[in-house]
Amino acid sequence: MSIAKSLWFALVLLLLVVLQYTLRPVLAWRAPIDFLTIALLLVAVRARPGVAAAAGFALGLLADSLTPDAFGAGALAMTVVGFGASWLKAAFFADNIALNGIFVFLGKWAFDLIFLVAERRLQGTDLLVQAVLWSPISAAATALMGLLVLLAVRPVLGAPRT
Amino acid sequence: MPRPARTDPRVDLAITAACCVAAFLCLVFPATARNSAAAKLRGSLVAPLAALQEKAELSRRSFLGHDAAVQIADSVTLRSLRLVGVEEENERLRRLLGLASAVKWGFIPAEALQGRGLGDETTITLSAGKFAGVEPLSPVVVSEGLVGMVERVDNSLSLAIIWPHPDFRVSAMTADGVAFGIVRAHPGQGASRYLLELQGVPLRAQLKPGTLVVASGLGGVYPKGVPIGTILQEIKTPEGYARSYLVRPAVRLQDVTSVMIVRPARVRAGIENVWARAAAGDSAIKGVVAAGDSARRDSVRREASRRDSVRRDSVRKDSLKRDTLRRVP
Repeated sequence: MSIAKSLWFALVLLLLVVLQYTLRPVLAWRAPIDFLTIALLLVAVRARPGVAAAAGFALGLLADSLTPDAFGAGALAMTVVGFGASWLKAAFFADNIALNGIFVFLGKWAFDLIFLVAERRLQGTDLLVQAVLWSPISAAATALMGLLVLLAVRPVLGAPRT
Repeated sequence: MPRPARTDPRVDLAITAACCVAAFLCLVFPATARNSAAAKLRGSLVAPLAALQEKAELSRRSFLGHDAAVQIADSVTLRSLRLVGVEEENERLRRLLGLASAVKWGFIPAEALQGRGLGDETTITLSAGKFAGVEPLSPVVVSEGLVGMVERVDNSLSLAIIWPHPDFRVSAMTADGVAFGIVRAHPGQGASRYLLELQGVPLRAQLKPGTLVVASGLGGVYPKGVPIGTILQEIKTPEGYARSYLVRPAVRLQDVTSVMIVRPARVRAGIENVWARAAAGDSAIKGVVAAGDSARRDSVRREASRRDSVRRDSVRKDSLKRDTLRRVP
């Protein structure tokens, strides 16, 4: 990746992190868009699995610092999602909008499921409702936003490596 | 010809495994170690992001307020519908102001930043920290009652556990001082997860639904007299030596936006009866408003009767004129 593209990429990631802490509280949805997961998946489709896992760990720790009771749960979930996404990018990252959407949807849902299990706060019916109702809705919203971001950055950054 | 890999896949696996182990250690390490790591992050990298979040939430409130104001101006009917929300907000702010004037000193106002994400249901981030004089174990209150307790303090932010937190415990009593017990989060599921439980009430003390439960002040963390909630019903528990009651919390968490952090020195000095005084002040204000309304009603009534008498006079004069004309041959 050229220096110009690298700078653009860094800018996009920074923008997504800022959106997580600005747009998300403004919208205040019950099933919120997860901009950090989108940022992680953008990294994952352009980097090796190890780098994606490390980026996921760093992003997860950042997010966990504001919810110390679950400190580490986000980092673990982001690490696994980053590694998995980078590993599977060859299968998913064809030039197909639907596949890209499914990729983001599964990434976000997987993050939520790992987070919920690692956090061990919700149990029983509450866990089930969160896992099979709210998390998929949140994942769908994230997937829609992810597609918009991908469509926006593709002309500038080009197609990801497979 | 495929491009040769620049990095051995085993390196990727090793990095991923290291990250997973580090994350797992973060999960299982003692709370003090985790908290200090989280505090370092909050004080450095995350500080600007948390500040952004605070601004965003304030903007959202302004935006919603503006939207409501525009809609109110749109039509009287719509205004009467929307005013309910605005009145509730005014009510809350007025009560908070009344509470602040009653407490007088030893409190720190703060904004509650609720992330509304996973893991945020039992803690809130407050926009005041060590620089503002916040100390750990300071109670967090609003005009309705107790919200929680500051657990960790950073330079410009602090984190508080709120009443649904599994570690939340308050020594409590009924407002009349008849029964004492411990209030904690109700460990139920679904909607009952958002209720509290009063445990350890002596068997002789039978509490009626609607009885107000307040902090007893025992333990020195929560000031005596802060409302916690009202009794809903008795619940059956395995231990037979004491009663347990389900308590409806006084504070609705979705309404918690501006809070007061009470300093420990103020707690020690005692703020008993502050909530009663605040309620009295509030009812006095309502009385003034009601008096203004009745005065306005009286003036309208007087004006109506004046117009009525003028109308009757003019009718009488007309009839006299008609009679006079009739008498003229």
